[in-house]
Amino acid sequence: MLKILACVKQVPDVDQMRMDPETGNLIREGVPAILNPLDANAVSAAVKVKETYGGEITLITMGPPAAEAVLRECLAVGCDRAILVTDRAFGNADTLATSYSIVSAANLIDKFDLIFCGKETLDGATGQMGAQLAEGFDAAQITSASHIMKIDTENGTLVVERELETGIETLEVTTPCLFTMEKTHYPVRIPNLKGKMAAKKAKIITLTANDIPGLDRARIGDPGSPTKVPRMFPPIMPEPGVILDEGSVDKTVGKLFGLLAADGCI
Amino acid sequence: MMDKSAYQNMWVYIEHDGKTVHPVSLELCCEVRKLCDLSGDRLIAVIAGDLAEDEIRRIEDCAIDGIIFVSGTGYERYNTEAYTNLFTVLCGKYRPSAVFVGGTTNGRDFAPRFAARLETGCTSDATEVVYNPETTDIEFIEPAAGGKIMAELRPQVGTIRPGTFKYAPAGRKEKIDILREEISFNTGDIRTKFLSFCEDEFDPELDIESSPVIICIGNGLSGGEALEQYRELAKLLGGKIACTRPLYDREILPYKLQVGQSGVMIKPKLYIGFGISGAVNHVTGVEADRFIAVNNDPGAPIFNYCDYGIVGDMDQVCQAMIQAIKANG
Repeated sequence: MLKILACVKQVPDVDQMRMDPETGNLIREGVPAILNPLDANAVSAAVKVKETYGGEITLITMGPPAAEAVLRECLAVGCDRAILVTDRAFGNADTLATSYSIVSAANLIDKFDLIFCGKETLDGATGQMGAQLAEGFDAAQITSASHIMKIDTENGTLVVERELETGIETLEVTTPCLFTMEKTHYPVRIPNLKGKMAAKKAKIITLTANDIPGLDRARIGDPGSPTKVPRMFPPIMPEPGVILDEGSVDKTVGKLFGLLAADGCI
Repeated sequence: MMDKSAYQNMWVYIEHDGKTVHPVSLELCCEVRKLCDLSGDRLIAVIAGDLAEDEIRRIEDCAIDGIIFVSGTGYERYNTEAYTNLFTVLCGKYRPSAVFVGGTTNGRDFAPRFAARLETGCTSDATEVVYNPETTDIEFIEPAAGGKIMAELRPQVGTIRPGTFKYAPAGRKEKIDILREEISFNTGDIRTKFLSFCEDEFDPELDIESSPVIICIGNGLSGGEALEQYRELAKLLGGKIACTRPLYDREILPYKLQVGQSGVMIKPKLYIGFGISGAVNHVTGVEADRFIAVNNDPGAPIFNYCDYGIVGDMDQVCQAMIQAIKANG
């Protein structure tokens, strides 16, 4: 049976961030937390594989206790169990420390054949997690995977399409393998009522740093992170531009085009 | 504490297909040259596999101090394992202070992995790199990640998107040190076997990097059926349409049209953004001579980045622009 791991993250919905009209700073408080959009496509890919070839899907996330919500959201569309890695000791982790923490927690639960990740997150958008998790799992990796074409479960080989800048590459890969998924072939799944009910009742496996034997404290959280964000400087907001309003849309557009023509832009 | 002074020289990985060098590698050589001038490091280009002579001259023209040519098995076609191994071995031997890799699909594939194997830091998509003489660290400015990121260990690894830095070669140095290394990776150990490649047909509509005018459409768009008028406006202005991430999420436009720090970086003469809120990730991908914003929400952050803004219904403003251009013939 294929053992499948899907890695997901709860992120602030950056599109909901507004600007404080007084200070010009972005307001982060009150911004809703959501399942990272591309992770939903990765979960869809995992569920599609399970439907076609059988298997069991384990979800994993690291974050505050509230991140449980995104695990339940994914359980509702056909995942089987979920792990929440949560502890203050994991806080302020960069991608290296995060990948070490997640790999340590996942290895405690099972040995996985296939690992699915979203291509990048809304908040950090580093796109590094996939490759660093693959290194931690000592798995092959296919980043920007667009299509799982064929799986030979007997021999542990897969045929996978990968999206490059100029075309599609087809690769054969052996398990264990990690994929960061493009969304092309895997639209987000909508849970049915039965799925929602089951997800609501599902027990989440919660792991703190103490629950993971042999975890190297020097490699997690802030101490384990070689990259640091020294301060969240409020993004430097430039002065607002000139708002044009000539009373009607036509006149305003006329004014704009006049200005652009004077600048030689049109 | 790590002895940072034991790590010297900044490297740029030269991505190529045997015939031509990827432009991002040349852009990186030009930008990292400036960091080296401040830090006293030497700028070294790392080239794996065979590359045409005249292309090597183009790299040398970027004022590099040296080249490490790597030969051996495993580099014929890009694969994660051979390239991860290559940089793990080379960094172990030569201890560079920094390694810069172009933020292409393949560059973003192996750079974080070899950084993880070396247990050092990796940053991606910085829009600016600054040398701090006090700490001797490079500061990677990443607006979307909330500010600047410091990589405290060595080597400092960073992937940078194509188009972020300018290609402005500073000229060839009189003396360029050449090193040759043979590092072979057993091709049987490559876990991803190449089967085939199907090249996309060139679609000029997707080639937005070089377009002088960009009509950019954001989440304010009602739906795919409303797109046509924006295409018409783009055509009338001699430009192309592009989008922000939510339109890709909504599957209205393809990823290759997504502008921003994690998409395509653009430098048009004229940019008109319709229905775009102005998320940091998007606006850092735009460097326009004239930046116009149209949004019905006067509080949208995009108005802070524009030269001129119009508060109003995006479709109405688009129609008025089309009419105005047609009226002027």
